[in-house]
Amino acid sequence: MTNLAKRIFYKELVSYRKRSSTYLSPIVFFLITIALYPLALSNDPADLSFLAPGITWICVLLSTLLSIQNIFNEDFEDGTLDIFFSLRVSTLSLIILKILVNWIFSSLPIIILSSTVIFLLFLPSEGLVILLTSLFLGTPVISLFGALAGALSLGKSSILGPAIVLPLSLPILIMGTSSVTSFLNGENPSFYFLMMLAIFIFLLPLICYACIGALRLHYE
Amino acid sequence: MNRTFNSLKNFYHKLGSSPWFYRISGITIPYIALFSFLFLFIGIVWGVFFSPTDFKQGDVYRIIYIHVPAASVSQAIYYTMTVAAVVSMIWRMKMAGIFIKSMAPIGASFTFLALISGSIWGQPTWGTWWIWDARLTSTLVLFIFYIAIVSLYSSFSEKKSADQAVSILTLVGAVNLPIIKKSVDWWNTLHQPASIKFTESSSISTEMLYPLIISIFGFYLVVLLSGLMAMRAEIAKREINKEWFKNY
Repeated sequence: MTNLAKRIFYKELVSYRKRSSTYLSPIVFFLITIALYPLALSNDPADLSFLAPGITWICVLLSTLLSIQNIFNEDFEDGTLDIFFSLRVSTLSLIILKILVNWIFSSLPIIILSSTVIFLLFLPSEGLVILLTSLFLGTPVISLFGALAGALSLGKSSILGPAIVLPLSLPILIMGTSSVTSFLNGENPSFYFLMMLAIFIFLLPLICYACIGALRLHYE
Repeated sequence: MNRTFNSLKNFYHKLGSSPWFYRISGITIPYIALFSFLFLFIGIVWGVFFSPTDFKQGDVYRIIYIHVPAASVSQAIYYTMTVAAVVSMIWRMKMAGIFIKSMAPIGASFTFLALISGSIWGQPTWGTWWIWDARLTSTLVLFIFYIAIVSLYSSFSEKKSADQAVSILTLVGAVNLPIIKKSVDWWNTLHQPASIKFTESSSISTEMLYPLIISIFGFYLVVLLSGLMAMRAEIAKREINKEWFKNY
């Protein structure tokens, strides 16, 4: 089983590396949207540093939306999913691996890139660690919702994905931005971190089983 | 004990049969229509014309007889949809799918009515159409949820998989709505120290309360009525080629 999991993981990594557009487009999108905010709102460093946590979180949320269609679509179209469902392997571990690889390719680069907001949006540099921690804890949950939306809207119109993911991600958005703002106001942000972690642990099995159920619908 | 359980089980099985439901709902709909009209008429006329004027808000408060029932109904519909989603997931009962499909647009409309009547009420009393208050925000999220369910349903061509997909989304939404509600509450306390409180429902006088209760009852009956009619239409749509429907 662990051997198979390793192979699936490797296969996912290879297939993501081959389709460079799937992991490049969120990065490009993130940088462009980050650049739009100062142009539209104000170029005053004081304003921007106040808005920086929220802007970063919104941009991260929107750019991860770009990749949710990729989680299952390719495997659905070329028949890989059929084989996985007919094999006697645990589909649960398959789903978890797919979500993990998707997170590595779509969220991790953006999290690393988002450290540039201390220059671009003048985020106070002591808040950076908190922002990165909140992103590390929050983006896996968004990936879970993305996987569910991708599984439900497999081969369907792409507006469905955002319509499902965005309302579900509201708590993460609130806690992610609140953790940074409360830290910058001199409070302890650990409450928000623990809540995000709790939401992730609570939702992980639930969403994975929901994903399996949603994927099976396309094979009935 | 055993007999009541058996009759309950019987009722449940009958509920799953679309010919039975179609027949029974056809018989009951006129009565429900009559009662819903009666309750709604009495509640709203009593509330709007005969209940005393509020000493603080004046006559504006009378929109409460639309707003509170609509808000209450909008949440109750989601709860019933959650129950139906569980039934549909576990027992694959096709009537549960029909129920969710028919109730989602109704829920969306009543949530919309609650939002609109709330903002019409808010304009004269708070001086603004909209405020990012915790309750308003979570109602807005509920509205978006209903829309997402409706649009997910319409994206499937196969009815059976559409029912299952919508059940999954309804359940995930039901798990998440309390989290969203709670986090919106925290967010609100962080960003906006309690500026407006409108929880005076406990101090409402009985002359205002009775018409409100009647009006709430009327709203629930209207939901029941429109739900039954929508479900009948959906059954007719799905089973138009079945033998029982042709002979009906």
